[in-house]
Amino acid sequence: MSKSLIYVRTYLVRFIIIVGLLSALASWYLVSPQVDTVFNELSIWNMMISTFTLFVGLLTVVSRYVTNITRRGAFWPYQIYALIIIIVWIIMGVTVGIYSDIYQTAFLSTKITLHIAILGQLIFFMVSGAYRVFRMRNLRTALFAICAASVATLNSPWLLGVFPEADKISFWLLNNPAMAGQRALVISGAIGGLFLGFRLLFGLEKGALRVTEA
Amino acid sequence: MLENFKYIFVIYLKPGTMLPTLYSAVEQVIRPGRGFQLAFMIIIGILCYLSYHMGKRGKTWEIRPIEALEATYEGIGRAAEMGRPVMMLPGISDLGNPQTLAGLTVLGEVAQRGAEIGVPTVTSASHSAVVSAAEAIIRSAYSAAGKPELYTPGKYVRWFGWDQFAYAVGAAGHILEEKPAMIIYLGYFLFDTIVDAETGSRVGAIQIGGTIGSLDMIAQFCDYILIGEEIYAAAASITKDKMAISTIAGQDWIKLIVVAIMLLGVISMALGSKYILDLLGV
Repeated sequence: MSKSLIYVRTYLVRFIIIVGLLSALASWYLVSPQVDTVFNELSIWNMMISTFTLFVGLLTVVSRYVTNITRRGAFWPYQIYALIIIIVWIIMGVTVGIYSDIYQTAFLSTKITLHIAILGQLIFFMVSGAYRVFRMRNLRTALFAICAASVATLNSPWLLGVFPEADKISFWLLNNPAMAGQRALVISGAIGGLFLGFRLLFGLEKGALRVTEA
Repeated sequence: MLENFKYIFVIYLKPGTMLPTLYSAVEQVIRPGRGFQLAFMIIIGILCYLSYHMGKRGKTWEIRPIEALEATYEGIGRAAEMGRPVMMLPGISDLGNPQTLAGLTVLGEVAQRGAEIGVPTVTSASHSAVVSAAEAIIRSAYSAAGKPELYTPGKYVRWFGWDQFAYAVGAAGHILEEKPAMIIYLGYFLFDTIVDAETGSRVGAIQIGGTIGSLDMIAQFCDYILIGEEIYAAAASITKDKMAISTIAGQDWIKLIVVAIMLLGVISMALGSKYILDLLGV
């Protein structure tokens, strides 16, 4: 790779990231119409580039699929199916519009049906996982199993009739240790996220920055 | 903006009116309720740089061993022995989510360590931008390991669509196809973890997970978990890079400040004052 290309990929990308980040932060914190104008302008650029990359992505997918289909490479029948779907949806979007009833109905009918199929399968995965986890092998798994059983009882009216005390125990568990733990996770996660951002900006976190160094 | 200069001049002209005038001047520049956020972020930036500077001047910091990260080394070695790949999943969010970035930093380190001993690292992502980033990271990991010839475009990264369950089912199929020796889930995950992690356990993979999303799902299915901020410190811990570790020390200072603010808030609320709430802009 030529030196100028390495320079562009390394420094220019970082410069753009820093300018974008600073404009977003300044617009969020400062009362300044000039800063807002810069941020809005950059947002429009971002939208334009995203739309352009969508077309590039579409062309890449089509060219790779067509090449693979002609060579009868791996998964080629699925790629024919994907290409047909892409063309059908593009024609529908261009002719009747993406907010039309027919487009929305066709999209949601497909998507929701598939989602429900997956959600139906989830229960089997959960039961299988729960079987492994709720075996009481040590104190931690025993506590986990007891808490889970308590909350499961809360959500089962017939079990709640048999063990009415589970109501109080479950709500106590949900409102105290579970909520405290969740808040601790969110707070520590937010601090960690901010520090990760600074580490990336200072160039200390190499993993993700490799994107601009290749 | 000229108004602010007037206020600053007033500070010098009328002694005793400094604080109220300063407040008024700040309100002209900073949006209401966001002053504390800005100050807090600047403090974090300063502490991050300070800890980095101290590390640069020779100060060394001890970082407690994290079980899940120790298992990462074990998993890469196990993959080499078994002749299977390592899989790293960065979740269903895009590059704007810090959890995804945390996942990608770990992907870089794991891919490089794997490349050094001949273990391929495969991944799949939900968002197209993450796919491009992951592809570039793996390519440069092979270059960093001194084996750029082993990198093949499109071999290590798969894309199954942005939808949560499309990703889940696609990644599960990928797991069944590759039969990885270790799977790392690090990023933003929801119910998709159930499908993938259960499939991972069926193929006998060591599973390591960390998320701020559905940690309960991760805890249910994974052998090792990274809790809270550990996911952000993971890459620094894996590399054992002194400079990166020193910034984690700065992170601990911030945690102390946050705990102090929380205690002050509890005490002030108990005394009937809402000063801390007002200060935070809540």
